[in-house]
Amino acid sequence: MKRTHYIFIALFLLLFSGNVQSQDLDALLNAETKPTVDYATATFKASRIINGHSIEQMKKKQLDFRISHRFGPLNDGAYGLFGLDQSKIHFSLEYGVTDWLMLGVGRGSLNKTYDSFAKFRLLRQSSGAKWMPVSLSYLTSVELNSLKFQDPTRTNYFSSRLAFVHQLLIARKFNDKFSFQLSPTFIHRNLVKTELDMKDVYAMGFGARYKLSKRLSLNAEYYYNYNPNSKFLDTKYYNSASVGIDIETGGHVFQIMLTNSLGMREGSFIPQTTDNWFDKGIHLGFNISRVFAL
Amino acid sequence: MLKKLLILLLLVASAGAFGQGKFIAKNAYISFYSSTPMEDILGESNEAVTILDSSNGEIVFQSLMSTFHFKRALMEEHFNENYMESTKFPKAKFKGTIEGFKKEMLTAPVANIKITGVLNVHGVDKTVTVPGTIGIEGGKLVAASKFKVAPEDFGIVIPSLVRDKVGKEMEITVKAIYLPYGQ
Repeated sequence: MKRTHYIFIALFLLLFSGNVQSQDLDALLNAETKPTVDYATATFKASRIINGHSIEQMKKKQLDFRISHRFGPLNDGAYGLFGLDQSKIHFSLEYGVTDWLMLGVGRGSLNKTYDSFAKFRLLRQSSGAKWMPVSLSYLTSVELNSLKFQDPTRTNYFSSRLAFVHQLLIARKFNDKFSFQLSPTFIHRNLVKTELDMKDVYAMGFGARYKLSKRLSLNAEYYYNYNPNSKFLDTKYYNSASVGIDIETGGHVFQIMLTNSLGMREGSFIPQTTDNWFDKGIHLGFNISRVFAL
Repeated sequence: MLKKLLILLLLVASAGAFGQGKFIAKNAYISFYSSTPMEDILGESNEAVTILDSSNGEIVFQSLMSTFHFKRALMEEHFNENYMESTKFPKAKFKGTIEGFKKEMLTAPVANIKITGVLNVHGVDKTVTVPGTIGIEGGKLVAASKFKVAPEDFGIVIPSLVRDKVGKEMEITVKAIYLPYGQ
Protein backbone atom coordinates (compact mmCIF):
# COMPACT_ATOMS: atom_id res chain seq x y z
CA MET A 1 0.00 0.00 0.00
CA LYS A 2 2.72 2.36 0.98
CA ARG A 3 4.63 1.62 -2.18
CA THR A 4 1.62 2.45 -4.35
CA HIS A 5 1.39 5.74 -2.52
CA TYR A 6 4.95 6.58 -3.34
CA ILE A 7 4.50 5.60 -6.95
CA PHE A 8 1.41 7.76 -7.03
CA ILE A 9 3.25 10.73 -5.60
CA ALA A 10 6.12 10.28 -7.98
CA LEU A 11 3.78 10.06 -10.95
CA PHE A 12 1.90 13.12 -9.84
CA LEU A 13 4.99 15.20 -9.38
CA LEU A 14 6.28 14.14 -12.77
CA LEU A 15 2.99 14.97 -14.41
CA PHE A 16 2.73 18.39 -12.86
CA SER A 17 6.33 19.37 -13.26
CA GLY A 18 5.88 18.41 -16.90
CA ASN A 19 2.82 20.61 -17.05
CA VAL A 20 4.56 23.55 -15.54
CA GLN A 21 7.46 23.23 -17.92
CA SER A 22 5.33 22.99 -21.04
CA GLN A 23 3.32 26.00 -19.95
CA ASP A 24 6.02 28.17 -21.46
CA LEU A 25 5.89 31.84 -22.22
CA ASP A 26 4.80 31.43 -25.83
CA ALA A 27 1.74 29.45 -24.87
CA LEU A 28 0.88 31.94 -22.14
CA LEU A 29 1.32 34.78 -24.58
CA ASN A 30 -1.00 33.24 -27.13
CA ALA A 31 -3.57 32.56 -24.46
CA GLU A 32 -3.44 36.18 -23.35
CA THR A 33 -3.64 37.73 -26.82
CA LYS A 34 -7.28 38.62 -27.32
CA PRO A 35 -8.99 37.37 -30.48
CA THR A 36 -9.64 40.35 -32.72
CA VAL A 37 -12.17 41.18 -35.38
CA ASP A 38 -10.23 41.27 -38.63
CA TYR A 39 -11.95 43.67 -40.98
CA ALA A 40 -11.31 43.35 -44.69
CA THR A 41 -9.49 46.49 -45.74
CA ALA A 42 -8.55 47.77 -49.18
CA THR A 43 -11.16 45.70 -51.00
CA PHE A 44 -10.50 48.20 -53.80
CA LYS A 45 -7.69 50.71 -54.07
CA ALA A 46 -9.85 53.78 -54.53
CA SER A 47 -13.38 54.96 -53.87
CA ARG A 48 -14.24 54.20 -57.53
CA ILE A 49 -13.83 50.91 -59.34
CA ILE A 50 -13.68 52.76 -62.67
CA ASN A 51 -16.69 55.03 -63.21
CA GLY A 52 -18.89 53.78 -60.41
CA HIS A 53 -18.38 53.79 -56.68
CA SER A 54 -16.51 51.02 -54.93
CA ILE A 55 -17.13 49.95 -51.36
CA GLU A 56 -14.17 52.05 -50.25
CA GLN A 57 -14.63 55.41 -48.65
CA MET A 58 -12.54 58.03 -46.92
CA LYS A 59 -11.86 57.40 -43.26
CA LYS A 60 -12.58 60.13 -40.74
CA LYS A 61 -10.92 63.47 -41.50
CA GLN A 62 -9.44 62.32 -44.79
CA LEU A 63 -10.09 64.44 -47.84
CA ASP A 64 -9.89 63.04 -51.35
CA PHE A 65 -9.38 65.44 -54.23
CA ARG A 66 -10.21 63.73 -57.50
CA ILE A 67 -9.66 64.84 -61.06
CA SER A 68 -11.00 62.74 -63.91
CA HIS A 69 -10.80 63.01 -67.68
CA ARG A 70 -12.47 61.08 -70.46
CA PHE A 71 -11.17 61.70 -73.94
CA GLY A 72 -13.20 61.45 -77.12
CA PRO A 73 -14.00 58.12 -78.78
CA LEU A 74 -11.38 56.08 -80.60
CA ASN A 75 -13.59 56.10 -83.71
CA ASP A 76 -12.92 59.84 -84.11
CA GLY A 77 -10.07 58.50 -86.16
CA ALA A 78 -6.79 60.17 -87.05
CA TYR A 79 -8.55 63.49 -87.69
CA GLY A 80 -9.44 63.76 -83.98
CA LEU A 81 -6.24 62.01 -82.90
CA PHE A 82 -8.34 59.00 -81.88
CA GLY A 83 -10.33 61.03 -79.37
CA LEU A 84 -7.47 62.86 -77.72
CA ASP A 85 -8.48 66.20 -79.27
CA GLN A 86 -11.37 66.56 -76.88
CA SER A 87 -12.03 65.66 -73.30
CA LYS A 88 -14.63 65.86 -70.58
CA ILE A 89 -13.45 66.70 -67.13
CA HIS A 90 -14.76 66.09 -63.64
CA PHE A 91 -13.50 67.48 -60.33
CA SER A 92 -14.61 66.47 -56.89
CA LEU A 93 -13.84 66.90 -53.23
CA GLU A 94 -14.82 63.99 -51.04
CA TYR A 95 -14.53 63.96 -47.28
CA GLY A 96 -14.80 61.36 -44.54
CA VAL A 97 -16.99 62.93 -41.85
CA THR A 98 -16.77 59.74 -39.83
CA ASP A 99 -15.47 56.30 -40.67
CA TRP A 100 -18.96 55.37 -41.85
CA LEU A 101 -20.05 58.55 -43.66
CA MET A 102 -18.46 60.20 -46.66
CA LEU A 103 -19.77 63.33 -48.33
CA GLY A 104 -18.71 64.62 -51.71
CA VAL A 105 -19.35 67.46 -54.11
CA GLY A 106 -18.26 67.66 -57.72
CA ARG A 107 -18.61 69.29 -61.05
CA GLY A 108 -18.42 67.73 -64.48
CA SER A 109 -18.17 69.42 -67.84
CA LEU A 110 -20.53 66.91 -69.45
CA ASN A 111 -23.93 68.68 -69.40
CA LYS A 112 -22.32 71.16 -66.98
CA THR A 113 -23.35 68.98 -64.07
CA TYR A 114 -22.99 69.69 -60.37
CA ASP A 115 -23.30 66.72 -58.10
CA SER A 116 -23.25 65.82 -54.44
CA PHE A 117 -23.38 62.47 -52.74
CA ALA A 118 -23.42 60.72 -49.40
CA LYS A 119 -22.05 57.25 -48.87
CA PHE A 120 -22.93 55.28 -45.75
CA ARG A 121 -21.08 52.21 -44.59
CA LEU A 122 -23.58 49.74 -43.20
CA LEU A 123 -21.64 46.47 -42.85
CA ARG A 124 -17.98 45.57 -42.95
CA GLN A 125 -16.68 42.22 -44.10
CA SER A 126 -14.81 40.62 -41.23
CA SER A 127 -13.38 37.39 -39.91
CA GLY A 128 -11.93 36.36 -36.58
CA ALA A 129 -14.00 37.23 -33.53
CA LYS A 130 -16.87 38.44 -35.73
CA TRP A 131 -17.79 36.90 -39.06
CA MET A 132 -19.40 38.87 -41.86
CA PRO A 133 -19.13 37.64 -45.44
CA VAL A 134 -19.63 40.94 -47.27
CA SER A 135 -19.32 44.67 -46.90
CA LEU A 136 -22.39 46.76 -47.60
CA SER A 137 -22.73 50.47 -48.26
CA TYR A 138 -25.49 52.75 -49.42
CA LEU A 139 -24.86 55.58 -51.83
CA THR A 140 -27.25 58.38 -52.62
CA SER A 141 -26.56 61.33 -54.85
CA VAL A 142 -28.20 64.28 -56.54
CA GLU A 143 -27.04 65.56 -59.92
CA LEU A 144 -27.90 68.97 -61.25
CA ASN A 145 -27.72 69.61 -64.98
CA SER A 146 -26.96 73.32 -65.32
CA LEU A 147 -27.16 73.62 -69.13
CA LYS A 148 -29.32 76.48 -70.38
CA PHE A 149 -32.88 75.35 -70.94
CA GLN A 150 -33.45 74.43 -74.57
CA ASP A 151 -36.63 76.40 -74.81
CA PRO A 152 -36.52 79.50 -72.57
CA THR A 153 -39.95 80.64 -73.76
CA ARG A 154 -41.84 77.90 -71.97
CA THR A 155 -42.13 77.54 -68.19
CA ASN A 156 -39.00 75.78 -66.96
CA TYR A 157 -38.72 74.38 -63.47
CA PHE A 158 -35.55 74.12 -61.40
CA SER A 159 -36.56 70.60 -60.40
CA SER A 160 -36.32 69.58 -64.06
CA ARG A 161 -32.56 69.81 -63.74
CA LEU A 162 -32.31 67.15 -61.06
CA ALA A 163 -31.59 63.46 -61.11
CA PHE A 164 -31.39 61.18 -58.06
CA VAL A 165 -29.30 58.06 -57.61
CA HIS A 166 -29.71 55.31 -55.04
CA GLN A 167 -27.24 52.50 -54.99
CA LEU A 168 -26.37 49.58 -52.76
CA LEU A 169 -22.77 48.44 -52.85
CA ILE A 170 -22.23 44.82 -51.88
CA ALA A 171 -18.61 43.78 -51.98
CA ARG A 172 -16.46 40.88 -50.95
CA LYS A 173 -12.70 40.66 -50.82
CA PHE A 174 -12.21 36.99 -51.66
CA ASN A 175 -8.48 37.04 -51.06
CA ASP A 176 -5.57 39.47 -51.13
CA LYS A 177 -5.83 39.75 -54.89
CA PHE A 178 -9.44 39.31 -55.94
CA SER A 179 -12.45 41.41 -54.95
CA PHE A 180 -15.93 41.51 -56.44
CA GLN A 181 -18.80 43.93 -56.10
CA LEU A 182 -22.48 44.04 -57.01
CA SER A 183 -24.16 47.43 -57.24
CA PRO A 184 -27.94 47.39 -57.65
CA THR A 185 -28.88 50.89 -58.77
CA PHE A 186 -32.00 52.98 -59.09
CA ILE A 187 -31.93 56.35 -60.83
CA HIS A 188 -34.78 58.80 -61.08
CA ARG A 189 -34.61 61.68 -63.53
CA ASN A 190 -37.13 64.46 -63.14
CA LEU A 191 -37.00 65.41 -66.80
CA VAL A 192 -35.89 63.33 -69.75
CA LYS A 193 -35.34 64.27 -73.36
CA THR A 194 -38.32 62.57 -74.90
CA GLU A 195 -41.37 60.69 -73.80
CA LEU A 196 -39.64 57.47 -74.77
CA ASP A 197 -36.75 57.99 -72.37
CA MET A 198 -37.28 56.34 -69.03
CA LYS A 199 -37.56 58.57 -65.99
CA ASP A 200 -36.82 55.64 -63.68
CA VAL A 201 -33.81 53.56 -64.52
CA TYR A 202 -32.92 50.24 -62.92
CA ALA A 203 -29.46 48.81 -63.34
CA MET A 204 -27.11 46.24 -61.88
CA GLY A 205 -23.42 47.00 -61.59
CA PHE A 206 -20.71 44.35 -61.58
CA GLY A 207 -17.19 45.31 -60.55
CA ALA A 208 -14.02 43.35 -59.94
CA ARG A 209 -10.39 43.90 -59.30
CA TYR A 210 -7.40 41.63 -59.51
CA LYS A 211 -4.12 42.75 -57.99
CA LEU A 212 -1.24 42.25 -60.37
CA SER A 213 1.29 43.43 -57.80
CA LYS A 214 1.19 45.27 -54.49
CA ARG A 215 0.70 48.61 -56.19
CA LEU A 216 -0.96 47.66 -59.45
CA SER A 217 -4.38 46.20 -60.02
CA LEU A 218 -6.56 45.32 -62.98
CA ASN A 219 -10.20 46.44 -62.74
CA ALA A 220 -13.32 45.76 -64.72
CA GLU A 221 -16.78 47.21 -64.43
CA TYR A 222 -20.08 46.60 -66.18
CA TYR A 223 -23.48 48.17 -65.63
CA TYR A 224 -26.42 46.22 -66.97
CA ASN A 225 -29.46 48.37 -67.71
CA TYR A 226 -32.84 46.75 -67.15
CA ASN A 227 -34.63 49.36 -69.22
CA PRO A 228 -34.73 48.24 -72.84
CA ASN A 229 -34.01 50.71 -75.59
CA SER A 230 -37.11 51.87 -77.34
CA LYS A 231 -36.80 51.22 -81.06
CA PHE A 232 -38.37 54.61 -81.69
CA LEU A 233 -35.56 56.46 -79.90
CA ASP A 234 -33.12 58.35 -82.14
CA THR A 235 -30.28 57.68 -79.75
CA LYS A 236 -29.36 54.15 -78.87
CA TYR A 237 -28.04 53.59 -75.35
CA TYR A 238 -25.52 50.94 -74.42
CA ASN A 239 -24.53 49.30 -71.17
CA SER A 240 -21.45 50.88 -69.66
CA ALA A 241 -18.42 48.58 -69.85
CA SER A 242 -14.94 49.52 -68.70
CA VAL A 243 -11.54 48.03 -68.02
CA GLY A 244 -8.72 49.81 -66.28
CA ILE A 245 -5.70 49.64 -64.10
CA ASP A 246 -5.04 51.26 -60.74
CA ILE A 247 -1.56 52.46 -59.95
CA GLU A 248 -0.91 53.40 -56.37
CA THR A 249 1.96 55.69 -55.46
CA GLY A 250 1.74 56.50 -51.77
CA GLY A 251 -0.84 59.26 -51.39
CA HIS A 252 -2.01 59.09 -55.03
CA VAL A 253 -4.01 56.54 -56.92
CA PHE A 254 -3.95 56.79 -60.71
CA GLN A 255 -6.72 54.97 -62.52
CA ILE A 256 -6.33 54.64 -66.26
CA MET A 257 -9.20 53.12 -68.20
CA LEU A 258 -10.87 52.30 -71.47
CA THR A 259 -14.61 52.79 -71.38
CA ASN A 260 -17.54 53.36 -73.70
CA SER A 261 -18.95 55.97 -71.29
CA LEU A 262 -18.19 59.65 -71.45
CA GLY A 263 -19.98 60.49 -68.21
CA MET A 264 -18.28 60.14 -64.86
CA ARG A 265 -21.34 60.19 -62.64
CA GLU A 266 -24.04 57.53 -62.17
CA GLY A 267 -26.77 59.69 -63.69
CA SER A 268 -24.86 59.94 -66.94
CA PHE A 269 -22.80 56.80 -67.47
CA ILE A 270 -25.50 54.33 -66.42
CA PRO A 271 -28.47 55.49 -68.52
CA GLN A 272 -26.76 57.70 -71.09
CA THR A 273 -23.84 55.80 -72.56
CA THR A 274 -24.16 56.29 -76.28
CA ASP A 275 -20.96 54.69 -77.53
CA ASN A 276 -20.46 51.07 -78.38
CA TRP A 277 -17.30 49.03 -77.79
CA PHE A 278 -17.93 47.03 -80.97
CA ASP A 279 -18.07 50.22 -82.98
CA LYS A 280 -14.74 51.46 -81.52
CA GLY A 281 -16.70 53.87 -79.35
CA ILE A 282 -14.01 53.56 -76.73
CA HIS A 283 -12.77 56.42 -74.59
CA LEU A 284 -9.40 56.58 -72.95
CA GLY A 285 -9.61 58.19 -69.53
CA PHE A 286 -8.05 58.58 -66.13
CA ASN A 287 -8.95 59.37 -62.54
CA ILE A 288 -6.40 60.84 -60.18
CA SER A 289 -7.03 60.64 -56.47
CA ARG A 290 -4.97 62.59 -53.97
CA VAL A 291 -5.75 62.05 -50.30
CA PHE A 292 -5.04 64.63 -47.63
CA ALA A 293 -5.24 64.03 -43.89
CA LEU A 294 -6.90 67.07 -42.34
CA MET B 1 -5.20 9.26 3.29
CA LEU B 2 -4.95 9.05 -0.46
CA LYS B 3 -7.58 11.76 -0.87
CA LYS B 4 -5.77 14.12 1.47
CA LEU B 5 -2.54 13.47 -0.28
CA LEU B 6 -4.18 14.18 -3.62
CA ILE B 7 -5.59 17.49 -2.46
CA LEU B 8 -2.24 18.46 -0.98
CA LEU B 9 -0.48 17.57 -4.22
CA LEU B 10 -2.96 19.50 -6.30
CA LEU B 11 -2.51 22.53 -4.10
CA VAL B 12 1.24 22.33 -4.35
CA ALA B 13 1.09 21.85 -8.08
CA SER B 14 -1.30 24.71 -8.70
CA ALA B 15 0.65 26.98 -6.41
CA GLY B 16 3.69 26.06 -8.44
CA ALA B 17 1.99 26.99 -11.69
CA PHE B 18 0.74 30.35 -10.49
CA GLY B 19 3.48 31.32 -8.15
CA GLN B 20 6.23 31.20 -10.71
CA GLY B 21 6.84 34.91 -10.58
CA LYS B 22 5.61 35.82 -14.02
CA PHE B 23 4.60 39.34 -14.84
CA ILE B 24 2.26 40.41 -17.62
CA ALA B 25 1.27 43.58 -19.44
CA LYS B 26 -1.72 43.33 -21.77
CA ASN B 27 -1.72 46.91 -22.98
CA ALA B 28 1.92 47.52 -23.71
CA TYR B 29 2.81 50.39 -26.01
CA ILE B 30 4.79 49.81 -29.20
CA SER B 31 5.44 52.44 -31.81
CA PHE B 32 7.61 52.77 -34.84
CA TYR B 33 8.71 56.05 -36.24
CA SER B 34 10.42 57.02 -39.43
CA SER B 35 11.37 60.52 -40.33
CA THR B 36 12.49 61.90 -43.67
CA PRO B 37 12.41 65.47 -44.98
CA MET B 38 9.39 64.41 -47.06
CA GLU B 39 7.27 62.72 -44.45
CA ASP B 40 7.08 61.55 -40.84
CA ILE B 41 5.49 58.19 -40.25
CA LEU B 42 4.29 57.13 -36.81
CA GLY B 43 2.44 53.90 -36.12
CA GLU B 44 1.29 53.14 -32.60
CA SER B 45 -0.27 50.23 -30.80
CA ASN B 46 -1.46 50.07 -27.21
CA GLU B 47 -2.47 46.45 -27.36
CA ALA B 48 0.78 44.52 -27.32
CA VAL B 49 0.95 41.67 -24.81
CA THR B 50 4.16 40.90 -22.96
CA ILE B 51 5.16 38.43 -20.26
CA LEU B 52 8.27 38.53 -18.11
CA ASP B 53 9.52 35.50 -16.25
CA SER B 54 11.23 36.61 -13.05
CA SER B 55 12.84 33.22 -12.53
CA ASN B 56 15.20 33.54 -15.51
CA GLY B 57 14.75 37.02 -16.98
CA GLU B 58 13.03 35.75 -20.09
CA ILE B 59 10.78 38.28 -21.76
CA VAL B 60 8.30 37.86 -24.63
CA PHE B 61 6.28 40.36 -26.66
CA GLN B 62 3.50 39.80 -29.12
CA SER B 63 1.68 42.40 -31.11
CA LEU B 64 -1.03 42.09 -33.75
CA MET B 65 -0.35 44.15 -36.86
CA SER B 66 -4.01 45.17 -37.01
CA THR B 67 -3.66 47.04 -33.71
CA PHE B 68 -1.25 49.59 -35.16
CA HIS B 69 -2.84 52.93 -35.95
CA PHE B 70 -1.65 55.94 -37.92
CA LYS B 71 -2.73 59.53 -38.33
CA ARG B 72 -3.21 59.01 -42.05
CA ALA B 73 -5.66 56.25 -42.87
CA LEU B 74 -3.79 55.55 -46.10
CA MET B 75 -0.57 54.87 -44.20
CA GLU B 76 -2.40 52.29 -42.14
CA GLU B 77 -3.73 50.67 -45.27
CA HIS B 78 -0.33 50.61 -46.92
CA PHE B 79 1.31 49.35 -43.73
CA ASN B 80 -1.01 46.34 -43.66
CA GLU B 81 -1.40 45.76 -47.39
CA ASN B 82 1.96 46.58 -48.91
CA TYR B 83 4.61 46.31 -46.23
CA MET B 84 3.66 44.01 -43.37
CA GLU B 85 1.28 41.83 -45.43
CA SER B 86 -0.79 41.48 -42.30
CA THR B 87 -3.11 38.78 -43.58
CA LYS B 88 -0.08 36.53 -44.17
CA PHE B 89 1.90 37.65 -41.11
CA PRO B 90 -0.61 38.93 -38.57
CA LYS B 91 1.79 39.07 -35.60
CA ALA B 92 5.15 40.45 -34.63
CA LYS B 93 6.98 38.66 -31.82
CA PHE B 94 10.02 39.09 -29.69
CA LYS B 95 11.50 36.51 -27.37
CA GLY B 96 14.62 37.37 -25.45
CA THR B 97 16.47 37.34 -22.18
CA ILE B 98 17.71 40.18 -20.04
CA GLU B 99 21.50 40.02 -19.99
CA GLY B 100 22.99 39.34 -16.55
CA PHE B 101 19.53 38.99 -15.08
CA LYS B 102 19.12 39.13 -11.31
CA LYS B 103 15.80 39.01 -9.48
CA GLU B 104 16.67 42.23 -7.67
CA MET B 105 16.44 44.12 -10.98
CA LEU B 106 12.66 43.84 -10.74
CA THR B 107 12.45 45.47 -7.33
CA ALA B 108 15.14 48.14 -7.74
CA PRO B 109 14.57 51.59 -9.27
CA VAL B 110 14.67 51.81 -13.06
CA ALA B 111 18.10 50.93 -14.45
CA ASN B 112 19.63 50.29 -17.84
CA ILE B 113 19.69 46.76 -19.20
CA LYS B 114 20.41 44.91 -22.42
CA ILE B 115 18.12 42.35 -23.91
CA THR B 116 19.17 39.80 -26.50
CA GLY B 117 16.63 37.80 -28.37
CA VAL B 118 14.88 36.95 -31.59
CA LEU B 119 12.63 39.52 -33.21
CA ASN B 120 10.12 38.09 -35.67
CA VAL B 121 8.52 40.60 -38.01
CA HIS B 122 6.94 39.91 -41.42
CA GLY B 123 7.71 36.23 -40.88
CA VAL B 124 11.47 36.81 -40.66
CA ASP B 125 13.53 36.00 -37.56
CA LYS B 126 16.43 38.21 -36.61
CA THR B 127 18.60 38.08 -33.51
CA VAL B 128 18.95 41.49 -31.97
CA THR B 129 20.50 43.00 -28.87
CA VAL B 130 18.66 46.10 -27.76
CA PRO B 131 19.15 48.57 -24.91
CA GLY B 132 16.37 49.12 -22.44
CA THR B 133 15.41 49.92 -18.88
CA ILE B 134 13.62 47.96 -16.20
CA GLY B 135 12.69 48.57 -12.59
CA ILE B 136 10.14 50.12 -10.27
CA GLU B 137 8.68 53.43 -11.32
CA GLY B 138 5.76 54.91 -9.38
CA GLY B 139 5.30 51.66 -7.51
CA LYS B 140 5.00 49.61 -10.68
CA LEU B 141 7.33 47.37 -12.60
CA VAL B 142 8.09 49.18 -15.82
CA ALA B 143 10.17 48.11 -18.81
CA ALA B 144 11.03 50.28 -21.78
CA SER B 145 13.23 50.16 -24.83
CA LYS B 146 14.11 52.22 -27.85
CA PHE B 147 16.04 50.81 -30.78
CA LYS B 148 16.33 50.92 -34.54
CA VAL B 149 15.63 48.28 -37.15
CA ALA B 150 15.86 48.33 -40.91
CA PRO B 151 12.77 47.11 -42.83
CA GLU B 152 15.10 45.44 -45.35
CA ASP B 153 16.33 43.07 -42.64
CA PHE B 154 12.84 41.64 -42.42
CA GLY B 155 12.27 41.25 -46.12
CA ILE B 156 10.13 44.38 -46.31
CA VAL B 157 10.80 46.05 -49.62
CA ILE B 158 10.41 49.83 -49.89
CA PRO B 159 9.93 50.66 -53.57
CA SER B 160 12.07 53.41 -55.06
CA LEU B 161 8.92 55.44 -55.66
CA VAL B 162 8.44 56.07 -51.95
CA ARG B 163 12.08 55.65 -50.92
CA ASP B 164 12.38 59.30 -49.96
CA LYS B 165 9.24 59.12 -47.79
CA VAL B 166 10.01 56.01 -45.79
CA GLY B 167 13.16 56.06 -43.66
CA LYS B 168 15.91 53.47 -44.06
CA GLU B 169 15.58 52.76 -40.36
CA MET B 170 12.57 52.65 -38.09
CA GLU B 171 12.84 53.74 -34.49
CA ILE B 172 10.94 51.31 -32.32
CA THR B 173 9.72 52.45 -28.90
CA VAL B 174 8.38 49.96 -26.38
CA LYS B 175 6.91 50.59 -22.97
CA ALA B 176 5.18 48.12 -20.67
CA ILE B 177 3.81 48.36 -17.15
CA TYR B 178 3.77 44.88 -15.67
CA LEU B 179 1.42 43.32 -13.16
CA PRO B 180 1.98 39.98 -11.45
CA TYR B 181 0.55 37.23 -13.65
CA GLY B 182 -2.72 35.67 -12.61
CA GLN B 183 -4.07 38.70 -10.79
